Amino acid sequence: MEIPASGDQIMELTGDKLKELTNAIEDEEDDDEELDETLVERLIGLTEMFPDSVRNAVCSAGSFSWKAMQWSFSFSKSAMWVAVSAGTILVLPVMFENERAQMLDQQKQQEKQILLGPHSAMSGPGMVPPGMLPPGMVPHPHQWHPPPASS
Amino acid sequence: ANPSQPSSLTPPPSTDVPPELKIPNVFKEEVSNNPGTFEELHRKCKELFPQTFEGGRFLVSKGLSSHFQVSHTLTMSQLSPQDSGYKFGATYIGTKQYSPSEAYPVLMGDIDPSLNLNAHIIHAFSKKVRTKLQSSVQEGKFMGQGSVDYLGDDFSTTLTLGNIDLLNKTGVIVGHYLQRVTSSVALGAELVYQRGPRVPGGEITVLSLASKITGENWLFTANVCPSAVAAHCCYYHKVNEQLHIGAELESSLMTRESVGKGCYQLEIPGGNAMFRGSIDTNWTVEAVLEKKLMPLPFTLQLSGTANFANIQKSQYRFGIGLVLG
Repeated sequence: MEIPASGDQIMELTGDKLKELTNAIEDEEDDDEELDETLVERLIGLTEMFPDSVRNAVCSAGSFSWKAMQWSFSFSKSAMWVAVSAGTILVLPVMFENERAQMLDQQKQQEKQILLGPHSAMSGPGMVPPGMLPPGMVPHPHQWHPPPASS
Repeated sequence: ANPSQPSSLTPPPSTDVPPELKIPNVFKEEVSNNPGTFEELHRKCKELFPQTFEGGRFLVSKGLSSHFQVSHTLTMSQLSPQDSGYKFGATYIGTKQYSPSEAYPVLMGDIDPSLNLNAHIIHAFSKKVRTKLQSSVQEGKFMGQGSVDYLGDDFSTTLTLGNIDLLNKTGVIVGHYLQRVTSSVALGAELVYQRGPRVPGGEITVLSLASKITGENWLFTANVCPSAVAAHCCYYHKVNEQLHIGAELESSLMTRESVGKGCYQLEIPGGNAMFRGSIDTNWTVEAVLEKKLMPLPFTLQLSGTANFANIQKSQYRFGIGLVLG
């Protein structure tokens, strides 16, 4: 409805014409509220402000990073499994045998120390700790007991 | 048989020969000059590779006298049921001794209940001339091979005849020559002539060249075949008394295959154990642990191999063996 521009027709905006005008304005406002968009639709509508290339670039970057994360997780799973099982086959027995050999050595040294007295296991000269041997006594080699059977 | 690899006719280096009978190739007086035979070019590196097996293995070996030894082997394997079973082996070492660690003649054989027989005879007529005869009967088929080695002052030559069938005119003739050029370099060549029904064109001749470079505690050997564009290189390094490492590269452009393999051998003296491990480019990892259970003369062998070529379907195989005597 055209609103007349000239001043002398302003007086005609009374009565029926005024009612029609306010009704029309209210109708437009009602139309606005009935559109009822959801939040997602409004957000999607916001993206329309970006150009096509920006939208496509962001979409492919997002899907690429998601796929890359999935791939790197499964790759690190496989790589960790390969490394651990190869290590079990290649390296574990050697480590166990080395430790066992060291422990046997230690055990033998300890037994030697117990049997022959502290002199045998010590390398420095004149290192008799006080009170270990009664004065004048030297451990007699023939009094060894056979060592306990080591498994 | 692949003509460019005639050495597949020779027996595998360590499985059949008991360790104390292993005959070192170099006599003591010529240790500085004779480069060894062509067949033993890659042996030092190949000895470091783990000999894996699958399933169970039980070997009892008994010495009946200082010259004669008898062995019984039981193999229980799921992957190769044709190899499973009982094998009886006998070894005789003769009385002619050229050096404390070698004695000739050496006669070795083994037979199983299906009458599959393998037999070797190694004899040295003099310090310079050695002969070797091998024969095997598998499922009724006879295969024989004989070779003569001449070990000179700084060179060695070998002539090998295999599967000679005069009626059908088939067989393999192989000639080797290895010459020491400088104190650390030896060069050699191998010529193979093969004639047979499966050979394309009826007969084929292949030439390949070899070199052996020795360092202070390392050894590099290479075998190149120009006609098949194939190369086989081995490197051996002795890090210390207990650790030896080796690497091998085998590649052939004709069959478009290339395999690299790295291995190490570690001896744990305090634990009476010997460990060999290897990893190769076919995504395979192998290892063998041999442990002597003192004070009884038992050796326990544990072998494991893993193949990761197809990560969804990786294969693992383990074996356990016990050697008595």
